[in-house]
Amino acid sequence: MTIWFRPVIQASLQIFNMNNPSQSFVKFEKIDKSYDGEVLVVKNLNLDIAKGEFVTMLGPSGSGKTTTLMMLAGFETPTNGEIFLDTKPISKIPPYEREIGMVFQNYALFPHMTVEENLSFPLEVRKIPKPETKEKVQKALDMVELGNFGTRFPAQLSGGQQQRVALARALVFEPRLVLMDEPLGALDKNLREQMQYEIKHIHDRIGITVVYVTHDQSEALTMSNRIAVFNDGVVQQLSTPDILYEKPENSFVAKFIGENNTLNGVVADVNGDTCTVELDNGFGKVKALKVNVNDKGDKTQLSIRPERVTIDSTNPESNNFEGKIQELIYLGDHIRARLNVCGNDEFIVKVPNEGSFSHKEGDLLNLSWNPDDVRALDI
Amino acid sequence: MSKFTKAFLFASIIFAPFAANAVTVASWGGAYTESQKKAYADTYSDPGSIVFENYNGGLGETRAQVESGNVTWDLVDVLPADAITGCDEGLFEDISSEIASMGVPGPDGESIAEDMEANGLNYHSGWDCCVPQIFWTYVVFYDPDAFPGEKPDSMADFFDVEKFPGKRGIHTWADGIIQKALVADGVAPNAVPTVFANQTGAIDRAFEVMDKIKDHVVFWSAGSQPLELVKSGEVVMAVAYNGRVGAANLAEGENFEYIWEGQVLDQEYLCLTTGAPNREAALDFMMHASSPASQAEQAKYITYGPMRASGIPIIEANEPWGPGGVDIMPHMPNTPERLKVSIVNDPQWWSDNGAEISERYSAWMGN
Amino acid sequence: MPIGDMLFRSVDDSQINGVFPNTFNEYKKWDKEKDELPPEEVYKALFEELAYGEKIQIGRALTRMNYSKSGWKSLIKTTSREIKKAVKKDELPNNYKEFLITANEKWADPTFWYAMGQMVNDATPIYYWNALDRTYDQDQNVVMQDEKRRIYIKTWIKTLKISVYVTIFCLILGFPVAHLLANLPLRYSNLLMIFVLLPFWTSLLVRTTAWIVMLQQNGVINGILVWLGILSDDGRLQLVYNETGTLIAMTQILLPFMILPLYSVMRVIPKSHMRAAQNLGAKPATAFWKVYLPQTIPGMSAGGLLVFVLAIGYFITPELVGGKDGKLIGHWIAYHLKTTLNWGLCAALGAILLGVMLIFYWLYNKIVGIDNIKLG
Repeated sequence: MTIWFRPVIQASLQIFNMNNPSQSFVKFEKIDKSYDGEVLVVKNLNLDIAKGEFVTMLGPSGSGKTTTLMMLAGFETPTNGEIFLDTKPISKIPPYEREIGMVFQNYALFPHMTVEENLSFPLEVRKIPKPETKEKVQKALDMVELGNFGTRFPAQLSGGQQQRVALARALVFEPRLVLMDEPLGALDKNLREQMQYEIKHIHDRIGITVVYVTHDQSEALTMSNRIAVFNDGVVQQLSTPDILYEKPENSFVAKFIGENNTLNGVVADVNGDTCTVELDNGFGKVKALKVNVNDKGDKTQLSIRPERVTIDSTNPESNNFEGKIQELIYLGDHIRARLNVCGNDEFIVKVPNEGSFSHKEGDLLNLSWNPDDVRALDI
Repeated sequence: MSKFTKAFLFASIIFAPFAANAVTVASWGGAYTESQKKAYADTYSDPGSIVFENYNGGLGETRAQVESGNVTWDLVDVLPADAITGCDEGLFEDISSEIASMGVPGPDGESIAEDMEANGLNYHSGWDCCVPQIFWTYVVFYDPDAFPGEKPDSMADFFDVEKFPGKRGIHTWADGIIQKALVADGVAPNAVPTVFANQTGAIDRAFEVMDKIKDHVVFWSAGSQPLELVKSGEVVMAVAYNGRVGAANLAEGENFEYIWEGQVLDQEYLCLTTGAPNREAALDFMMHASSPASQAEQAKYITYGPMRASGIPIIEANEPWGPGGVDIMPHMPNTPERLKVSIVNDPQWWSDNGAEISERYSAWMGN
Repeated sequence: MPIGDMLFRSVDDSQINGVFPNTFNEYKKWDKEKDELPPEEVYKALFEELAYGEKIQIGRALTRMNYSKSGWKSLIKTTSREIKKAVKKDELPNNYKEFLITANEKWADPTFWYAMGQMVNDATPIYYWNALDRTYDQDQNVVMQDEKRRIYIKTWIKTLKISVYVTIFCLILGFPVAHLLANLPLRYSNLLMIFVLLPFWTSLLVRTTAWIVMLQQNGVINGILVWLGILSDDGRLQLVYNETGTLIAMTQILLPFMILPLYSVMRVIPKSHMRAAQNLGAKPATAFWKVYLPQTIPGMSAGGLLVFVLAIGYFITPELVGGKDGKLIGHWIAYHLKTTLNWGLCAALGAILLGVMLIFYWLYNKIVGIDNIKLG
């Protein structure tokens, strides 16, 4: 439940200047992609990735993230636009000349080759001398802590071990960039979390650029420097994990990243960066940040993170409402309360467990939240 | 209950009315078996009691049935060499006395054996276990359109590719063609079996004659193929079963010409399997099937000739005997004048020498 | 069990030994160096065994005797008739040799007596020798069969050759088809699969006849080639009634047996493997050769072995389209099974065929490893 708090801190330590294209190592410029000539699966994609960065493309299935990755790897061709790698356009370069490593969803280890042979493969096709190959393979295996597994076949390894071999194989030929297409999807939860850290650590250690695709938001938040949230072929928001969580720019991102309470209404008044929203069905007015609305009369959806709602403390600067407890779930460090607030039956509040909470289901609670924590988004 | 048992039970219910005491006749299938059904079974007192089953000739299955004691075929339709071997080996039951006493006599009281002798046949041990059916022949035929000028009319012509250029269609086994070869070399057709039996070197002589056309031969192995070969122009002349040529002429409007000279008359018998489950009924049906009337009847449906001489006058007297009011006699292989230029196969000699000649023939073909 | 029975029959000669025990016993005492014809005792024993033996047992022995030399059947039958007459009249001869030679002069022909030497033991390798174009001479040394009758070795070679070719052709043609099947979108691959399976639902004879129509000199293919001007009208190709026809027709008929195992193996090779290989720097050809192809070996092996084993026993199709080259070993097995009733030779041919298959299986196991086979 609390997993996204860790990366929030971690990611905010990293600072990148993304507004200067001359520094971008990978650049997607106005990329469209259509398979059938009618429906665009990727629409006007612009994305810059700096050298050494770990960027994740996050989104539901069918959102265009894998297609984008495949265009970068060279297995799909953009319908319009161009991709630059190290300032050079790469659309005409075949995949085998792109020097891009890739970890596939199901690892794509060659079952008829041993682990060593799998790792030697990219070196052999590059005609690297045998002794050097051997040395590099051993180094790569040591890196993923599989030094003694070289003579095994993939089928003789566990899922996690196979994953590491795939990773080692994608790195052994020292590619300019590594792509990972849901590499942890086939692992169970514990192993997946462990591997997230391992990949992250390897990235930190060797400093290679990584483009990572996943539909798992916690994975994205854990590992990435920046995350591109995809939906419907469009990047909804590209930002560091903390910004994405704290300052979603539209309701899709707000809902997709982390837990989110929503209230619908109409903008009643605009005042600089803030606005006042008249809730539907006459439940009252809410002061909010004006994020993705323009003018009076716009329909809007308000987004409030559960942990930003406080109980039993009224503050005239805040928004103050009442909520009726529908359900209480005890979770140790906090209590998760599902309330009915302004007609929304699924309003979640996280009450820190300070030992003083004594309300029952059916009780009315006084709630308040700061206008800075309410974001008026699109609907 | 297993699926198999169910299926078996189901099958027994469906087939029960037929299977109970039905006489099973193993025959060659196709138009030939159809003609047997019409001529023998449909005219029988109890047509429903006769069931035909197809097989591909030879005694293999019969021997396996008799050896295992699990006989399902009451009667088997066989070539004469198989009639002899089957009778000698006891695969077929010796019913010589039943044939003598129960056989349907000819108009002048001729016995079955006398009738066959009148057709130029000699006794062999197959006669003890089997009743006669039809003569079929290996006959040469051609499409007259392929020869605008002079038309071939003898075996010498068939083996002369200079006089009549073009390919010849010949079967992939030996028995018909090596006898024709001797005719082409000047041996009188009726004398061919004797020459083979008594003259050393006769076989070599036949192969030498065949060498002359070997490079101009298309070899066929199924009865329908020679017709296709001639129709498509792949060959200009071919050896074929006369029944196939007759059917093409009568039913398909073809206009093929026969070369009756050197035709090889062979016999066909119906034999009683040893241990036949419906022995009595099968015997009764055998006698019906071998009557002159039944044999003449069969000629209506396929142009094979009655092995009993007294069958021929029935056809002659009732022309047009064929389907749709056509005369059948022009297509019958065993009219008296055609018998004069025919080779009558000697099954005894073939059952002695068949295997060796067949190996030689194959070696010759493949070289 | 059936295999045991086959192996037993391929060496068994006990039936005839049960019919002529005394004759054969006496025969073994015959000194061929000293006497041109066997001694009187042999003739006497033969006379008695023919006179008092069971007719049906003798009949079966006759079929057997005729394999060793043509003419035994009528020789014994005419002799038996004379013997029966004599016994009926109670006129047993004083000199049996003289009696038999009078009955049929062939009894004075030593070649018949030499041929008898092939049958005097309960167990015999003669059928195997026959299956390899060999026979015994008068002293029971193994010698080549008369040149004009040598067919089996040639047929064995031809059968193996055709089977190997058909297997190779099936592999060459089947591989791309299986690959398409495994990689096309479902609706196309389903359609293609129907085309692959269609031949299974057509009768063998129909398919064979269709090939004849296609391949004959006035057939479709020659017609098109002449029309296109590639061939002159009198230069039409002989595509059927020879080995070419056999190869074409058998390849088509056996193709599904190659495609299906290949397909079932290719279907489970993830498409990501080719991509991974290219991603790792291999050109498409290298990726195919090093990554894809090795993974299809189990399918190629299964298909190859299946096609080869089926091809080696084929006989109906080759006979119909093969003309003078159409008799493969399966034809002779069927021929001896049904027509000559020489089940000993039939079993020997079958046993050799089995042996050939086992050798190929062994070779295959050595080279590829039998665990590597996969039917799906």
